[in-house]
Amino acid sequence: MTVCTRCIMDTTDPDISFDAAGVCNHCHRYEEVARQRIIPAGQRQERLAQLVAEVKRAGEGKPYDCVIGVSGGVDSTYVAWVVKDLGLRPLAVHLDNGWNSELAVANIEKTLNKLGIDLYTHVIDWEEFQNLQISFLKASTPDGEVPTDHAIFALLYKIAAKQGLKHVITGTNVISEAILPEKWGYGYFDWSYVKDVHRRFGSARLSTYPHFSLLHLFYYVFLRRIRMVSVLNFIDYNKNQAMDILKNELGWVYYGGKHYESIYTRFYQAYLLPRKFDIDKRKAHYSNLVLSGQMTRPDALDAMKAPVYPANLLEEDRQYVIKKLNLDGQQFEEIMSLPRKTFLDYKNNRNVFAFAKRLVNSSRRLIG
Amino acid sequence: MLKTRVIPALLLRGAGLVKTTAFKSPVYVGDPINAIRIFNEKEVDELVLLDIAASRTGRGPAFSTIESIASECFMPVAYGGGISSVEQVRRILGLGVEKVVINAAALADPQIVRATADEFGSQAIVVSIDVKRKLLGRYEVYGDSGTRSTGHEPAAYARMMADLGAGEILLTAIDRDGTMKGYDIELVSKVASAVSIPVIASGGAGTIADFGVASKHGGAAAVAAGAMFVFHGPHRAVLITYPSHAELSAVLS
Repeated sequence: MTVCTRCIMDTTDPDISFDAAGVCNHCHRYEEVARQRIIPAGQRQERLAQLVAEVKRAGEGKPYDCVIGVSGGVDSTYVAWVVKDLGLRPLAVHLDNGWNSELAVANIEKTLNKLGIDLYTHVIDWEEFQNLQISFLKASTPDGEVPTDHAIFALLYKIAAKQGLKHVITGTNVISEAILPEKWGYGYFDWSYVKDVHRRFGSARLSTYPHFSLLHLFYYVFLRRIRMVSVLNFIDYNKNQAMDILKNELGWVYYGGKHYESIYTRFYQAYLLPRKFDIDKRKAHYSNLVLSGQMTRPDALDAMKAPVYPANLLEEDRQYVIKKLNLDGQQFEEIMSLPRKTFLDYKNNRNVFAFAKRLVNSSRRLIG
Repeated sequence: MLKTRVIPALLLRGAGLVKTTAFKSPVYVGDPINAIRIFNEKEVDELVLLDIAASRTGRGPAFSTIESIASECFMPVAYGGGISSVEQVRRILGLGVEKVVINAAALADPQIVRATADEFGSQAIVVSIDVKRKLLGRYEVYGDSGTRSTGHEPAAYARMMADLGAGEILLTAIDRDGTMKGYDIELVSKVASAVSIPVIASGGAGTIADFGVASKHGGAAAVAAGAMFVFHGPHRAVLITYPSHAELSAVLS
């Protein structure tokens, strides 16, 4: 196994490549993305003030200025705090996919009560969603969280449109989540992929599951002019400092791993991915923190020596997931031993998105 | 534990949980297993689970659903919905449920209360009474999910149930259900003063203070709440919550 000399990504990513100095493509990509998306320190104040003014103007006369997503995790909770601090009036939107931990709901509740933010929740019909999650398990791709991520974005767009708002302020950020090999997590924007996987493996009709086709996306982005704003790229986002603020100001509680506020995500990242796909997402996450200067490479390598999650809790999660998905032990083992696939084995709109992304990125450079 | 129990009342319809308003317009609030896991961690005293479709559709209790829910509960749980025979009660108690809640069957034949109390003990038998406030402030017991008048006066009916061996009365004010406007204290007080067994006030809880009022002024031994523990804020957004021990002891001690 080859490990990058700058970050800690390695050849468990099938598409990784290294330059002559042993630096991987993710490092190079990080630099490009950081240059494009993180607002340089000197311009932050001005750009942020512009953004706030624009959001306020768009929300004039309405009960809210903007939509934010809340999961109870660090990034989204910090966004809630930042947005209120900037004097905006957000409506918080939460997708309940049936896997909330107690910590997640308690964090959401404390945050909203302390900050005085209203909430809208969409509860996906559990029988439907259970069936869709099993479809993705049977599809045997390493991106089984696509159904959740897709629904979150669909819901954010839908509620923004319904409320007549132009801004969805998200917690996606370059500092901690710019690095992710495509095959580890493709497709949350791609309904055709979700649909195809479910058509092949599922049986329940997806009638309450929030989704959006390319046409919907076009409608939201170009006709309704709804913008996704990654506000954390506008500020000096330091994850540890952010967590301290949340703990002290909101009574927020950490749950022990990136996105572990959802039980399924925790199970998926800590149990299924390492065992079935030899993927440890901590590598991408820590690498990202190394590149953004929030962790040293030796510390990252050291942190990787710790188990991804305590063994007894892993077993507890495994049993719970089997029960909750209404599988039995044997069906679960069959799923675990299915041959590995990637999104490329299914219908997808990757080329369309790649084209759109190039378009956006080139216009981003033009606009500055 | 505080002397007044504070009980989330969860409504089951099919495989999912719902929340009604005045026994109507059920809103889907999610998967029971996950909700119960959250309530477990919030250290809830006790749980009431009512299948609101089991009697109406005539299919009776969904035993496998009850079993999978009961096996997830750390706290004592009372199950109600579609129970019509002693045999069903035996089966349900065998699934790890501590108490059964009887409503329609007791209205149809009060002797089922005696038969089940004799066999399983009063502590396992909760009789659920749904009450509507009529014109001129008179109260009446209603059957079939609040759709059929029975002619029973609540306090007298509760006394009859207690005499037959019921261990507790779950007393629900139909018009208050899901409104979060506070309990019908007059009703609670009438029934609680008529019987010596515990009365669980239900219907209308909206704030922690309501619990204190039901206990102090209504004489309720326990308080149940639905909407308050599953909805948040003006959009009635689904978000499971339960007050901390400190918050509860401030109003219930």
